[in-house]
Amino acid sequence: MKKTLLLVLAMTFLVSPFLFSAGQAARDDGYEIVVVPKDSSNPWFVRMKEGVDEYREETGLNVYQRGTAQIDATLQAQLVQDLIAQGVDAICVVPVDIESIDPVLEQARNAGIVVITHEGAALENVDYNIEAFSNVGYGAFIMDNLAEAMDYEGVYTTMVASLTVGAHNEWANAGVAHQKENYPNMTLLAAQPRVESHDNGDIAYNVALELFKAYPQLKGIMGTSSYDAPGIARAIEELGLVDRVFTSGTGLPLDNAALLESGIVKSLTLWDPAEAGKAMASLALKVLNGEEIAAPVDLGIGGYNAMTFREGSNTTLEGEGWIIINADNVYDFGF
Amino acid sequence: MDEMLKLKLKRISRKNEPYLFLVLLALCLLIEVRSGQFFAANNLVDIASALIVPGLFAIGAFMVIVSGGIDVSFPALASLSVYASTTYLLSIDYQGGVWLAFLLSILIGAVLGLFNGIFIGYFKLPTLIVTLGSTNVFRGIMQGALDSKQLATIPSGMREFGTSALFIARNPVSGLTSRMPVAFLVFAGVLILMFLMLRYTMFGRSIYSIGGSEVSAHRAGYNVVRTKIIIYILVGMIASAAGVIRVSMMQQLHPTNMLGMELKVIAGVVLGGTAITGGRGTLLGCMIGTLLIVIVENSMILLGIPTSWRSVFTGALIIIGTGVSARQVISMHKVKSRSIKQPIRRGA
Repeated sequence: MKKTLLLVLAMTFLVSPFLFSAGQAARDDGYEIVVVPKDSSNPWFVRMKEGVDEYREETGLNVYQRGTAQIDATLQAQLVQDLIAQGVDAICVVPVDIESIDPVLEQARNAGIVVITHEGAALENVDYNIEAFSNVGYGAFIMDNLAEAMDYEGVYTTMVASLTVGAHNEWANAGVAHQKENYPNMTLLAAQPRVESHDNGDIAYNVALELFKAYPQLKGIMGTSSYDAPGIARAIEELGLVDRVFTSGTGLPLDNAALLESGIVKSLTLWDPAEAGKAMASLALKVLNGEEIAAPVDLGIGGYNAMTFREGSNTTLEGEGWIIINADNVYDFGF
Repeated sequence: MDEMLKLKLKRISRKNEPYLFLVLLALCLLIEVRSGQFFAANNLVDIASALIVPGLFAIGAFMVIVSGGIDVSFPALASLSVYASTTYLLSIDYQGGVWLAFLLSILIGAVLGLFNGIFIGYFKLPTLIVTLGSTNVFRGIMQGALDSKQLATIPSGMREFGTSALFIARNPVSGLTSRMPVAFLVFAGVLILMFLMLRYTMFGRSIYSIGGSEVSAHRAGYNVVRTKIIIYILVGMIASAAGVIRVSMMQQLHPTNMLGMELKVIAGVVLGGTAITGGRGTLLGCMIGTLLIVIVENSMILLGIPTSWRSVFTGALIIIGTGVSARQVISMHKVKSRSIKQPIRRGA
């Protein structure tokens, strides 16, 4: 009895891939474009899939997302190799590991497949790599948000995960430069122009407590890491400073829903993975159609309609794909 | 009478705590002079509140170090037990009080502690090696089997417990307020129980004697294996309670939030004069040491130290502090060896 059951189960597993993949193989007209995320269970990439599916419905092209069950560089490389063997027209990858995916992408390009990546600026074997934004642009965007909350005046400081995290410090530097140019009534706290949170909500909280105690004139903190603004918000709430001091920074919607709804944090900033997924597919289509890719590149998607090449690179394109998360749209993203 | 006083002073001067207390006092005064904020009621409450989790961890780490081992697994253990219990409570949509979160977490913590204890006590493997391994096992179970994610919402009982205050301190000048969390009572309770246990129970004394010399303790009739296993079960329970408190106070569950705390906690315990080789140390010293670390960690900005110099300053304090403790131990040894030599000479 047990053996029979086992046999049936094993057969089901063997047959199921053919049963379920039937739908995808049927469409033979036009290009086949596949988006490969880091994994398929992370809410971030579930959201990306929504964008990809939406793009398919809008354009009628054979575009779909296929990811591995868990985040694993080896599995991702195998998946891409399988796609090469299937002979798809374009592969769009969000790489787990640069080192292990690069040689596989080389195989893909040798097989005549268009390769587009996202968050993979260090990759060599790509047609193009898309970044949602430039670090300078995003830093300025966070500053715009903070300045608006602070009513364009007062003393502020910046928080990064650590002084050695490249992206965070570029955002913070760009934010400060943007303030100096555009918001003359704001000043950077000279005694502590940059503090660290070590990507830890509890440390962000304790550092913020201290900052507000030591510098009563402090009116805002620009966060960068996704742990910064929520930690700072906890300090603002506890010290009784709601609506007197402000923070803004990167944050995931659902994690911060309570903070945004209570008004302790007015808005957070982010980029939308759904849009990034669409942008990759759209760029792949352009390359397949043999269109010339010259800056500014218009992919027909908000935030990705005037993309420029990153300085010193002829493969990495940067958009302005940042978005604001506030109490009104916090539940729209599903992550 | 005068002789008595001298003897008393001499005995105190050989202890570690008075020196440590002076260092602590000096640091507090320095912060007060630099910022004028240290002794403000709200700041003291902030420090007390920041002490709860490291303080609970330190109590467990202290017990292990006194017994002659070094445990580095307690943050991973706490993370796993609090993650498992919180996700379970969320999955059954539990609306009751925080007690069930504590109970579940402490139960899981006891089992995980038993896991450590069996390898260390029964198989007689070195604590550091076992706990380095179990750190990875615990983290692996959390990230692999339980697929840990950041939890934005926690059960309502935990949320209420985390924000409920014993009292609220208000700074009359700046108007800033700080809550003294109810969780501080848990910390105080564990501390008192541990103090009584170490001082007045056979089990407490056996921890010291094992740390002094395992062989002697065994020959004196202590059950070394059982004592060790119980130590690690207790550490697991205390650490898990700390985990529940951390999550409740943060109002969110960040699974990796506590990982990496072990070194600072152990530094605090050693700073408090606990011999890293085991057998000697007081809970009072351990608490002063931990408090010192917590104050330093949370006063860098009040002191006006630039961010880039932060770790240098913390490191320097640990070296100076542990240096003072180490000097004390050396001079104590000198006193001892003299008193042994003298009668021999007299006899000769």
